This record gives sequence, C-alpha cells and structure tokens, in this order.
Amino acid sequence: MLDWTIIVHYFPFLVSGALLTLQISVLSLILGLAFGLTAALCKLAANPLLRWPAVFYIWLIRSTPLLVQLFIIYFGFPQIGIDLGPFMSGVLGLALNVGAYNAETIRGGIISVPKGQTEAARSLGMSGAQAMRRIILPQALRIIIPPLGNNFVILIKDTSLVSTITVVELTLTAQRLIGSTYKPFEMYVMAAVLYAVLTSAASMLLVWVERRTRKEARA
Amino acid sequence: MTPTSSTRPIDPMLEIRSLQKSYGQLNVLNGVDLKVAPREVLVIIGPSGSGKSTLLRCINHLEEPTGGQIYLEGELINDTGRSRKDFEKHINHIRCQVGMVFQQFNLFPHMTVLENVMEAPLLVLKKDKTTVRDNALELLGKVGLSDKTSAYPSMLSGGQQQRVAIARALAMEPKVMLFDEVTSALDPELVGDVLRVMEDLARDGMTMLVVTHEMGFAEKVGDRVIFMADGVVVEDASPQAMFSNPQERRTRQFLKEVLK
Repeated sequence: MLDWTIIVHYFPFLVSGALLTLQISVLSLILGLAFGLTAALCKLAANPLLRWPAVFYIWLIRSTPLLVQLFIIYFGFPQIGIDLGPFMSGVLGLALNVGAYNAETIRGGIISVPKGQTEAARSLGMSGAQAMRRIILPQALRIIIPPLGNNFVILIKDTSLVSTITVVELTLTAQRLIGSTYKPFEMYVMAAVLYAVLTSAASMLLVWVERRTRKEARA
Repeated sequence: MTPTSSTRPIDPMLEIRSLQKSYGQLNVLNGVDLKVAPREVLVIIGPSGSGKSTLLRCINHLEEPTGGQIYLEGELINDTGRSRKDFEKHINHIRCQVGMVFQQFNLFPHMTVLENVMEAPLLVLKKDKTTVRDNALELLGKVGLSDKTSAYPSMLSGGQQQRVAIARALAMEPKVMLFDEVTSALDPELVGDVLRVMEDLARDGMTMLVVTHEMGFAEKVGDRVIFMADGVVVEDASPQAMFSNPQERRTRQFLKEVLK
C-alpha cells in the first residue's frame, strides 16, 4: 500500500506547492470577481457599446475549454508581443474564465431584485449608479453568494491546469517529485488530499459569509 | 411658506399640458390637462386602466411621456431638448422635489426603518448625518413609528411599512407628494392609520396628488377630485359636487359601482 516514509518526507514539498495553488486561487478569485461584476453590469447596460463586448466575452469564454484559453495566453500571446510569464498567464487565464461564469451569476442576482426597488430608489432622486450600489447590489448579493462560492470551489480545482504552463503549483510539484521518486500513487494521493483541504476550507468560509449576509439582510 | 399676493393668481405648483403616453398601439393617456395649486390636495379616481397611475408615474418620469408637457413650478420636467447626461441630472433634481409612495411600499429590505428614511438625504442631498438623523426620527414620530426605528421592514405590518415609506419620501422635503393607491395592498384594519398620516400631511399644507379608491378620504381630505377614464380627465370638480352631483354619465356609472 502507501509508503508512509515517502509521504512524511515529501509532504512539506507538496504543502509549498499547495501554498502557490492557494495564492493563484486567491488572486484569480479577486480578479475574477472584478471581471464578473464589470461584465454583468455591462451586459445589463442599455448602451450597446457596453453590452455587446460583455456578451461576446461571456460567450467566448464559456464556449471554449479553459486549457485552450490558458495555452492561448501563455504560448500564443508572446507571438503578438504580450509575454506575461507562466504565473501571470495562469492567473489571468483563470480569472477571465471564472469571471465569465461569475458574470452570469451576478447578472441573474441583479435581475431577480424586484423592479419596485429600483423605482423607489430612483423616485428618491438617486442616480442609476447610486441605486445599483446602495439598493440593488446589496440585495442581489444574498442571492449571488451561494452560486458564486460554487464557482470559486471549481476555480481552486481548475488551478491544477496551470501545471501545463509550467507553474509549479501543487499538481506540477507532485509530477516533478514523481520524476525523482517513482511513487505516483503516494504523490497524487497527497495532492488530492491537499486540494480537498483547500476546497473544504473555501466551502466553510463560504457558509460563514452566507450566514453573515443573511443576518445583515433580512428580507 | 411664502405669502402669496391676493391680487395675482397663484402660479400652479404643477401644470400638465396635453399629456400623452402610449405603449406601442396602446394609448394610456390621451391628452391630459391639469393644474395643481400649491397646498392643494387633488384626488384622482377612476376605473383600473384609466391611466391614473401612469399619470403619476409620468410626473416623476418613472414613465416617459410620449407627448405633452409637465411643469413643476414653471420648470419643464420632460425636457427633451437637453443632452442625455444633462437630462439625467435634471430628472434626479426634479425627483428630489417630488416624493412618491407606492402601492407595494418598496421599502429597502436590507436596511432598518431609520436607514430607509436616512438613505436618500445622505446619499443624494449629501446632508450632514446628525441633521438627517434628527429629521428622520422626527418624521418617524410623526407617522407614529418612533418605537420601530431599528426594525427591519419584514418585521412590520403593511400599514407600518407604508407609513415608513411616507416618512422616507418626506425626508427629501419634497414640494409635491404622489400617492399611488397606497392603501390598496393593505388589510382593511390597517388602512385608517395610513390615511390619518396623509390627512395630517394635507393639513400641514403639502401639495398632494392621490390616486385612491378610498372615496371617504377623497371627500373628507380632497380639495378637488378628478375622474379619469380611457386616459382623459372626464370630470373635474369639488368633492361635494363630484360625489353628490356628478355631471358625466361615466362618472355616475363609476361612482354607482364603487359606492354600492
């Protein structure tokens, strides 16, 4: 079965790989949230100059594989003079990807807030942006947070794909250690355990956030 | 209040000229002319679909009129000559002066009662927080909800929510208040409290346009009643004349139905 001496010896290396995975996840999460919110608001805008680029972005990302998107950014972009390096390419690719899914989630939350809320806000003299920021988004948040959290758990697992563009995160760390130890079972099981720890921690954090927003916004 | 000269006719607070609104083929307003004097309480009655609500919603531009003009103290509200950005600013400024209360209350569920009332004066008028707070507490006292300031809307009855909504609109210190069937969604026993608040407001000299099915309120508080049908003002009279001696056949028919 499992060789425990190998596991004890190499575990710290995998943990450092997991820390990079965490770092990539958090960065992509923040960027992905910004992309998602921007794209959602643009897709809801009346102005076609805002709407159509958002529609195109969301369509493009959701209809192509993440792996190909990462390859285009890492291998393809340098050819047109944009060389971001493996880490930034990975973060950008993941953020653009989760951003498109977040956009649809956020848009759904916004349109589910009753129209009367916007009318009440506007009738008090608020601008469209003020009404969105103070009245609509806080209410949409309650609806958005659970599916958004789901997107982020998927994001953490998807970070393993950046191993293919030479980012030495958890998966690539495991692969490299296999090269020297010839112990794929131990290494991949350890990697799997560490991914499970990360995603479970994210889920728990999410439940906590959900509970807090529910307490704040009783509707 | 500024004293008005007795020799000069009082300028209307609100003037509406041949107002039209249509949705595609459907004409909801077919040329409405109306003047509302300062401090006047105008009650608007009529069957559903007669355009009463649309008329109110055109005044604060929640609906865009298809034709005609609306003036607030002589200033054109639906001023299509402005640039888009300028118009947006103009409309927000107009809306600050025109309060509206909705049938479905539309309180902000994620804010307490006090926050609901304070939000717009803070955000839009950029007033100082202590002033806004004091004013909000005073208004909530006026509508009889001093003990509910830290409650959330979902914890209140419909009647209480509607009184918060009135306080919220009043916090902007509007010149005109629009009431769009504000008691229609309430349980019968809660209607009285809301109407009393509106009556107090009328007594304090607020200019009010009230769309309602409460004929008792119209008769008691209204200075003038208009009957609308098919997007036009069919009859315009004092409450006494409207209810005791309606001139138009359609008015008589409507009143016979609702007063039955």
